[in-house]
Amino acid sequence: MINQFVFVLFNGLASGMAFFLVAAGLTWVFGILKILNLAHGAFFMLGAYIAYTIGGASPSSLWTFIGVALLAAIAIGIMGLVTDKFVLGRLRNVDYHYVLIATFGLMLFCEGVAKAIWGSDYYSVMPPPEVDTAVKIGSSYISLYTILVIVIGLAAFAVLELIMNRMWAGKIMRAVANDPWMAGTIGINVPMVLMLSVVASFALAGFAGGILVPNQTLSVHVGSSFILYAFLAVVIGGLGSIRGTFVACILLGLVESANATFLPEYGGIAVYVLLAVFLIARPQGLFPPQGAL
Amino acid sequence: MTDASWTRSGQTASFTDQYLLSAFGAVLVVLLFFAPELVNPGLLFIIGMTLIQSVFALSWNLLFGYTGLASFGHAGFYAIGAYFTGASLRYGFPLPFVVTLLVAGILGALVAYGIGIVALKRLTGIFLAVLTVALTEALGKIIGFTPALGEQDGLGNIPRPIINLGVTCLDLTHSNAYYRFLLIACLLIIGGLWWVIHSRLGRTFRAIREDADRARFIGIDVARYRVISFMISGGTAALAGALSAPWTRIVTLDQVNWLASTQPMLNSLLGGFTSFWGPVVGSVVFTSINYWTRNYPGLSEMLVGGVLVVIILVAPTGVLGILGKLRARLLKGGRA
Repeated sequence: MINQFVFVLFNGLASGMAFFLVAAGLTWVFGILKILNLAHGAFFMLGAYIAYTIGGASPSSLWTFIGVALLAAIAIGIMGLVTDKFVLGRLRNVDYHYVLIATFGLMLFCEGVAKAIWGSDYYSVMPPPEVDTAVKIGSSYISLYTILVIVIGLAAFAVLELIMNRMWAGKIMRAVANDPWMAGTIGINVPMVLMLSVVASFALAGFAGGILVPNQTLSVHVGSSFILYAFLAVVIGGLGSIRGTFVACILLGLVESANATFLPEYGGIAVYVLLAVFLIARPQGLFPPQGAL
Repeated sequence: MTDASWTRSGQTASFTDQYLLSAFGAVLVVLLFFAPELVNPGLLFIIGMTLIQSVFALSWNLLFGYTGLASFGHAGFYAIGAYFTGASLRYGFPLPFVVTLLVAGILGALVAYGIGIVALKRLTGIFLAVLTVALTEALGKIIGFTPALGEQDGLGNIPRPIINLGVTCLDLTHSNAYYRFLLIACLLIIGGLWWVIHSRLGRTFRAIREDADRARFIGIDVARYRVISFMISGGTAALAGALSAPWTRIVTLDQVNWLASTQPMLNSLLGGFTSFWGPVVGSVVFTSINYWTRNYPGLSEMLVGGVLVVIILVAPTGVLGILGKLRARLLKGGRA
């Protein structure tokens, strides 16, 4: 029994951190621009494909693996710059429906590009050799790669929290998120801050793509499974709150993993129950960001 | 004097316009009716799907274009209709086919009512978008666990119905016969939606879309009318699904995910959500793009996605909006 709990705990944490890596960029852009970027999952997928193309199917070491993920982050960040210039930047002051639909169009476009370049074949990528083993915890085996994902997720959360709460850049971002007009009058370059937020969010998506490729087979649909959980986490966490999204991701990961272990014949249903409970009992989310929305 | 003749010529123009449009519509309906004799079965299938997609898109646009609410999980309703009809034909429920269709529509409307009373009072906007996506995914999971509904493989071998009219039987097993039934059913549903939108109810919906707060001030029960709009929309989407099951003869899980939900959205925006016929035009354009790009992997997504982004950026009123603007400019140019 205890073994099963250890297993559920580690798996849950690992998928929770995987969701968080994808959701972090989503919630960041949501908090600052009030945009729900439906194309986020597609850019995550492009990041995974780019990492696969640069790094190949079996990365030679842990550091090349992380380096490749960072390159993917840079590539997707540049795409974010272009997207912001041509699409998102022009939709700053329109009804959110149009933004949702435009980002949806972007998502389709990216999927088309991926299909045209990489075809509809499935690829699989190995974890780097250092973490391609399992360790024994109690009497259950946990893959080291799983622990790596957990560590990277925690590190990403720590960095984002530091930036948001302790650093000058985060204070400017919160000022812009709360009141762009006032932020502009005190001399903050608001369009620049918004653009940098978009680029950071896209870069996060690309990085997540690079880190999470070994988790599953790579295909055009790789984004959609993660992005759905990311949406749920953003809603449960309180729209735009990084801390809330983090807690929601862990919660979703644990619920999903417990569901898969104890009720395998109804896999994937418990998270929707969780969502329904939250929407009815606490529609504002776990940590609703103050002043925003 | 110039002014008077101006107005009169303008009126005559719009009168002739309407006349021309009606004539065009009538010719189109006649052509559609004789389509089985004019085109090959493959193309006929696509025409039938376009009709169903038009109804589906119109149902979504009633919600978005006329009430200002966006459902991102409309495929759920379509799937309810399709699976219900599919199962009822496959397992031979003792229900006349027309009743099956009606029950499917009512089922969709009831589910919409359930979601509506929970969600529409508090959750508009992004919450509604995420909630509808999640509910549709949950429905897909539930169908995936139900052996009677074919789990992951879908519900295949759906027979086409024979309608017993008492005196005579209407045999719809042949695809040409079912196509004609489909055409008439779609025209009736489209007529019904036209009536709803141009009635007092439709004006109430539009008042809510324009400004929910002001609508409340003049005494409109906004939450109630939102739920009503959601119910009509969900019921119509379920009807579209119900009509599709005997036409495609297989219902699969591909029809119950959030990507399928975006089909009516694409069609409405492509054609133009501000006009009644926009979603129909969009369905035709979309099907044509898909048909012509079917041999190039990725191209159709690129085209459709790109067109969608460009439409939102330059012409949020869609194809019909662009045509209207062009026409206005041409007429103005002609007069000047």
